[in-house]
Amino acid sequence: MKGLAELWRRLTHLRWRPEFSQELTEEIEHHLALKTEENIRAGLSENEARYAAQRDFGNMTLLKEDSRGIWSFPWIEELLEDVRYGLRMLRKSPGFTAVAVITLALGIGANAAIFTVMNGLMLHTLPVRDPGQLVELLHHYPDEPEPGFNGFSWDAYQTIHDGNHVFSDLIVAGMNFFPVSGDKLQPETVFGGGVGGTFFQALGVRPAAGRLIGPEDVHMGYHDPVAVVSWSFWKSRFDLDPGVIGKKIVIGDDPVTIVGVAQRGFYGLNYEARQDIWWPISLGPSAGWGFGLLARLKPGVSLEQARAEMAVVFQTVVNAPDAGPFVHRMNLRIVPAGTGVTTPLSQMLSTPLTVLMATVGLLLLLACANLAGLLLARGASRQHEMAVRACLGAPRSRLLRQTLTESLLLSLIGCAVGIFVAYFAAHALVRVFASGRFILGAPVHFESLTNPDARVLLFTLAIALLTGLLCGATPAVSASKTEPASALQQVSRIGESQSRRLFGKSLVASQVALSLVLMSSAALFLEYLSHLRNLNLGFERHNLLLVTLDFAHSGYNAAQFSQLSQELVTRLDAIPGVSSATFSAVSPMEGPGAASFAFAEDHPEKRTQASVNYVAQAYFETYGTSFLAGRDFSARDQDGSPVAIINETTARDCFGDENPIGRHITLSHITLTKGEKTFEVIGVVGDAKYNDLQQAAPPTIYADLQQGYTGSEHSQLAIRTRIDPDGVAGAVRQIEAAVLKTVPIVRIMTMSEQIDSSIVPQRLIAMLSAGFGALGALLAAIGLYGLLAYTVAGRTHEIGVRMALGAARTDVMRIVLRDALWMVCAGFAIGAPLAFWGKRVAASLVPDLPVASPLPIVVAAAIMIAVGLIAAYLPARRAMRVDPMIALRYE
Amino acid sequence: MAKDPVSRKSELLPGTLEMLILKSLERNSEPMHGYGIALYIKQISREVLRVEEGSLYPALQRLALKGLVHGEWRESDTGRRARYYKLTRAGRKQLMEEVASFEKLLEAILRVVQPA
Repeated sequence: MKGLAELWRRLTHLRWRPEFSQELTEEIEHHLALKTEENIRAGLSENEARYAAQRDFGNMTLLKEDSRGIWSFPWIEELLEDVRYGLRMLRKSPGFTAVAVITLALGIGANAAIFTVMNGLMLHTLPVRDPGQLVELLHHYPDEPEPGFNGFSWDAYQTIHDGNHVFSDLIVAGMNFFPVSGDKLQPETVFGGGVGGTFFQALGVRPAAGRLIGPEDVHMGYHDPVAVVSWSFWKSRFDLDPGVIGKKIVIGDDPVTIVGVAQRGFYGLNYEARQDIWWPISLGPSAGWGFGLLARLKPGVSLEQARAEMAVVFQTVVNAPDAGPFVHRMNLRIVPAGTGVTTPLSQMLSTPLTVLMATVGLLLLLACANLAGLLLARGASRQHEMAVRACLGAPRSRLLRQTLTESLLLSLIGCAVGIFVAYFAAHALVRVFASGRFILGAPVHFESLTNPDARVLLFTLAIALLTGLLCGATPAVSASKTEPASALQQVSRIGESQSRRLFGKSLVASQVALSLVLMSSAALFLEYLSHLRNLNLGFERHNLLLVTLDFAHSGYNAAQFSQLSQELVTRLDAIPGVSSATFSAVSPMEGPGAASFAFAEDHPEKRTQASVNYVAQAYFETYGTSFLAGRDFSARDQDGSPVAIINETTARDCFGDENPIGRHITLSHITLTKGEKTFEVIGVVGDAKYNDLQQAAPPTIYADLQQGYTGSEHSQLAIRTRIDPDGVAGAVRQIEAAVLKTVPIVRIMTMSEQIDSSIVPQRLIAMLSAGFGALGALLAAIGLYGLLAYTVAGRTHEIGVRMALGAARTDVMRIVLRDALWMVCAGFAIGAPLAFWGKRVAASLVPDLPVASPLPIVVAAAIMIAVGLIAAYLPARRAMRVDPMIALRYE
Repeated sequence: MAKDPVSRKSELLPGTLEMLILKSLERNSEPMHGYGIALYIKQISREVLRVEEGSLYPALQRLALKGLVHGEWRESDTGRRARYYKLTRAGRKQLMEEVASFEKLLEAILRVVQPA
């Protein structure tokens, strides 16, 4: 309270500050006048009287300054002074400032960029009641990577709903894109979905207008259906018009009435996949992926209790009589969902982002060490200045503050530039994510991943301040320890203490250590990537063009499809540069095909789980998969009994050592037909991978596309070329449009691109860590160069003496190089254990990493030695050229 | 501002100057200007306490900042313009507290230097 009143008086004082000096002078003049008068009365002459008055008064200037100082904000003024001075110093050495700012901007920017994306993807708590109580249900196969998939059948939902005692609410929602139109709406595709009756109530969402969907709406079903829109949808499409309540719009093919708007800020169940419209789940059109389940734990129920009970309940689900072939192997996972439900994007990126965050953290640490080294060297060359300031009465704390202010200024400028860097880097990063296989077409609100919010800015500012303190602390302490007298005596030589030199060296060594860690992990990830890219996939990956076609609205019957697809293939074959073309339901590395049980006709007990693909003639020729036995499909098969080609794994699983050709294989529970179907095996081909580069190819059964298949929603056209596949894309487009008039092309990509899209996270980690590794090596090189250049400059005299005493130029060079190598080796000694430890951490995050290979560390060490020698070369040459006469005379 | 060591009288204890100013203002019902305060302190202490006159002014500013005194420009008897200070209510209270604690301190010191 007292402090506040004082602050207030200080602030109001600012207003009449200009008058203050004048008034004070007047007051003092008055005092002196009275005193002089008194002195005159005491018998002094006028001059003497005035002099005596002044003498008694004291140092007028100092007293005035003191009086003024009482009213000011001393620390603010001193800070401004420091800042002004710091900026002047930075301007005076633009080279140093540029290097420092760029170093910091890259270090801080990289951290901010990764954090921006991480923040959008993983850290946003849902704006609902008690988000900490929410958990998500995911199913996954034991051999699949975590976290799993949140999509359940309606029956599974019912079973879980009725069978559990641990959830106070079970929230069900089916999310997808839907075409939305209405009288005042532009037709558009909106992300939203059907929700259960307790959706809004359980999440604690209130209406901003009208009412929300309740259980009664779900019971109503199709009769008079309703919908609720998001606040942002209301604002952008209806301009917050209250008349939106009661408006009719069309979702898909269903007319619905808008009955309410959800509370402002509610965006559904995921921050990066925002929903804008909801309707009762009974209305139908919901995701083909099944229903998403979210639950609220009952108060007092722990996650472990919920897991234990649900493991039992889920057994009922997977053992249901009509469950599909793979289902009984499924597990249920329950994970906290306060930050939203798992999406393909978050699933794909959580691990890579964690790895990258650790990497950029190291990078920033390296930048800190680098800058600390530069500042230290600079501090040494400014010893004279510090000594002068100390002599003039600057207290140590003031020198310390001045130096710290300079490093903080650098880090703040670096931070400002870094925010720009981060903005563009985050965009670039997200563009790479967006090319991922399951991300194409997924509902990702990319702006929410790249827009820095308050948390990102705070984070960035915090790391910038930390960086400034970290790299400024030692130089500042060392500057404040300047002994005025000794420093002034040594002005002619750059004085440096033993401890300071050692510290500078250890900074360089730590940079070498950190870049060794960065580079060895980069090399590790690159090796891993090249391993992935060179895996035998069971088909020839180069020169293959893939065209995805959408048959959903083709209107063709089986005969038309068969005739047109054959015509298309024939015409494509005729394009110059094309060696063959084919059709199939799915292509390798696109994702798994339909799942089915398969068994040899006479061994139903040896049932295996197989993927089913429908392929046309020349499929294996086009993809470059070899026949091990039997023959390809042919035109004769079209009207005959069903035939199939099986892969090697199926042959082994179903027929053992026997020859499968001519035998029959039965598929039961084919997802597409639901029934059983028996095929004659006419050929055996090599295994090819469909889903995951690292998993072994599953048992695969190829059925004849011409035997009654009409094309599913999406079908794949594949074209094997003798030239660059992109070169024929134009011709392919033209011919496709001419032959299949009602079938649009969804996308065209090469097989290499398709493979790359299945390993986006791995590529991202490899590329970025390679970039960071290179940056780290560059920083270490700058640090080494800076230190050596400065040491050589400081040792000119010594080198001169050595040469005068007969040292050869090569000896001098050897001294400098030995110094450099010594620092690099010290760096290795610290860095190698760190690198090994980092490898173990990386291995725990990324499965199948080739951690046993010693190559990465060896490569990294070799690069660091080369970098060290290059960085040392210039200073070494300078040392070699020292002229002993000049060096000695210089003293 | 070299001080003549011979003419130096009793140095003030730190912080005492403020108390003396407050006391002077309290004793005089009329507001006083800086020179008046200096004069008064000198007289009342029978010239034992010698205030370095200049230091009066930063001290007055400190007191004004704390809201213990209030300064106002006014014509003096001699027709000159001068700043006159008077005690605020907070100043009066502060003075009482300071005098009390000063007396306690003094008592303690006396007990030490004049053993019974």
